[in-house]
Amino acid sequence: MNTYSSIRGMLVIASLFVLAIGLLVSQQLLTASDTQVPDEREEVVFWHFWGGADRAIVEDVARRFNESQNDYFVRPIAMPGNNLDLKFFLSVTGGDPPDLLNIDDPVIADWGHRGAILALDEVATPDEVERLEAWLFPAARRLVTYQDRLYGVPNGLDIRALYVNKTMLARYGLSPPKTIADLDHIAETIAPPGQPAAFQHHGYLPDSRRIWAWGPVFGGQFYDSSDDHVTLTTPEIEAALKWMVSYRDRYGPSEIARFRHGDQSLPGKTFPLFAERYAIVMDGQWRVRDIRAFQKSQADRREEVAQFDAIPLPMPPGGKPNAGWVNGNNFVIPQGANASRGAWEFIKFWCGFDGQEASAAHTCVAGGWIPVSQHVVDEPSFQEFLAEEPLFRTFIELAGSENQYPVPVIPGAPYFNNEIKNLAESAMSSSTEPDLPQMLKEAETRIQSHIDRARNEQ
Amino acid sequence: MRHQADTSGSAETASRESRRRWRSWFTAAGFAGPWLLGLLALFIYPFVVSLYWSFCQYDLINPPRFAGLDNYEQLASEFATGTGIAHALWNTSYYALISVPLSIVLGVGLATLLSCDIRGQSIFRTLFYLPSVIPVVAASILWMWLLNPADGLVNSVLGSLGLWQPQWFASPAELVSPDSFTEAAWANNSAPIGSKDALILMSLWGMGNFMVIYLAAIGDIPKSLYEAARIDGAGPIRRFINITLPLLTPIIFFNLVMGLIQSVQAFTQIYIVSEGRGAPADSTLVISLHLFLSAFQHLNMGYASAVAWLLFVLLGIATWFLFTTSRRWVYEGVR
Repeated sequence: MNTYSSIRGMLVIASLFVLAIGLLVSQQLLTASDTQVPDEREEVVFWHFWGGADRAIVEDVARRFNESQNDYFVRPIAMPGNNLDLKFFLSVTGGDPPDLLNIDDPVIADWGHRGAILALDEVATPDEVERLEAWLFPAARRLVTYQDRLYGVPNGLDIRALYVNKTMLARYGLSPPKTIADLDHIAETIAPPGQPAAFQHHGYLPDSRRIWAWGPVFGGQFYDSSDDHVTLTTPEIEAALKWMVSYRDRYGPSEIARFRHGDQSLPGKTFPLFAERYAIVMDGQWRVRDIRAFQKSQADRREEVAQFDAIPLPMPPGGKPNAGWVNGNNFVIPQGANASRGAWEFIKFWCGFDGQEASAAHTCVAGGWIPVSQHVVDEPSFQEFLAEEPLFRTFIELAGSENQYPVPVIPGAPYFNNEIKNLAESAMSSSTEPDLPQMLKEAETRIQSHIDRARNEQ
Repeated sequence: MRHQADTSGSAETASRESRRRWRSWFTAAGFAGPWLLGLLALFIYPFVVSLYWSFCQYDLINPPRFAGLDNYEQLASEFATGTGIAHALWNTSYYALISVPLSIVLGVGLATLLSCDIRGQSIFRTLFYLPSVIPVVAASILWMWLLNPADGLVNSVLGSLGLWQPQWFASPAELVSPDSFTEAAWANNSAPIGSKDALILMSLWGMGNFMVIYLAAIGDIPKSLYEAARIDGAGPIRRFINITLPLLTPIIFFNLVMGLIQSVQAFTQIYIVSEGRGAPADSTLVISLHLFLSAFQHLNMGYASAVAWLLFVLLGIATWFLFTTSRRWVYEGVR
């Protein structure tokens, strides 16, 4: 009995010893030298949402910045998944926010209005802010400007264009569309309405979420900042919605819903254009990489290599050229950040402002991201990339356009964003004929009321 | 002397008794203390504070600012125009009022069948209970695949049988709605069944929890009652209606109240299938999601608190109503 007790005791002591050693080793590993802040340098904690291959690029940018620095040390922390906003707010409320945050929701004005983030003029010098404004693309400037102040800097733009499967169009004797009428013709040729069986292919189907893009194309604006009013009932916005709803009239709401959901069952995140489900799809610049990979796999399999193009959104008569919806990933500096100046230095390094264009061009090429300034685009390394990727050139031209608009940068923008998507979704999926003017009028009143309340808070 | 000894003895006994009482009190406090602290910090404090916040404008960043009845006036105006909370309440009611009774009917039916003495009874019981142990997130994603209108398993089966194929989570249509009976609603080989109906289907899949309680209750019914009824010539249906069902009413009542509360508070599965925003077209914007979006997306914690209190009051009224009416239909035995 005594022997058993002593053995048991020794085993407990040995287990505790192993546990202590394990804790020491893991602590050493977790605070390995590459993440340790060097002496006399200020740490900049950077929260971002990038994962997968993009995360490695982000860490590479941070490494290059840290190597170039004597004053600051950026520690990137990946926070993938939903609710980054919520985590951020809890950190601000708890008094321990990061020094730099990367977001992609239309929250700049909302957060700036409430004092959750700093305006850039609170961190940078007036001269820097003035030069930055002139340096950015108009679309990039619009994304972060609230009440004539910059509240962040986009680190990349997301631009939408139409991707065209030229091989599929050629099979039907069609060319890429230049006007809305061309687009409708393509849709009706590839998927003639009234077909008894379920459709296997569509020429094009508008996505209700993309009314944000089609509104400006039809010459409309969702918000008039001169008198702070929602402007949904303008003829242009109504015309854009009416055109989108015409596809519901043509194919029926059930067919549109069924076909769109069918895209989700494609293996992995296959672009539906590859499966020839559509001849034309609206999407962002990140698909260029997918197209190249797809064409390479076709070539490897010795199949006919499909040809694709990326074109600006076609206009109706009286519409705006090179128009659409822009969003982006924005750097913001939280209120209460300990190293706001270090965060600003990292922002400049990443975006290429103040003579760091070459480094930013390198970052954009690595990630397949759209620069926020023509100065970065003009860099030789980026020009070389464009020469290799002609499809990307369309997106760069659109990024420089004056007619790319984000969700209005105003308090209450997330609500505005949701309501507009719901409006188009309701109209396009209605089983009875939707009364568009009435729907727009009701939504306008509802959104205006929410925005007025949000503006009057604090 | 004897009297003195008695006095000092009783004083000693009293002191020992007092010490024992204190010790047991400290022991009880030691065990209950952590829980009581948790109750105070995590339930009572937020409960009281949320009532105060419901009269404030509060965005998490800045201190709450007293705004009187502003949030409640906003709720009233939304009820008047049928937007916001009114819309969310309609969606919640639709979901709760169909899913709870259906889960009770199916739960009782299943439990009755599974209480029959048949081969493989335990396997069937396990199979029907199994969905309840699958995490909500995994189950939600699974159902999104199953109900994919284009090539989900459910629509494939319906299609192969030549039946209508609903659009499920892709459509804001409602089965229980005046629009359902129009010809247009049934056109294009589809049915006016939409996202809320799909949510109800999902909720029924996890009714194993309730079924187990019914099974236990059925097992508790004295066999002698069935034997007596059988001798009197009562058939299986008569026995079910006159014996099983009345004796199950306390459990049905319990499940009714719990099911109502659970369905009104349902969030995770709805958040997942609705893209976190009540898609499509706000058709799955239930009160819990409306509350979440108001608080953490629109940063309107005061309004969200008012919604939470409205939900609390509505649930209270509904539960009170159920308790009041239960006297008429719940069998509580001979008193």
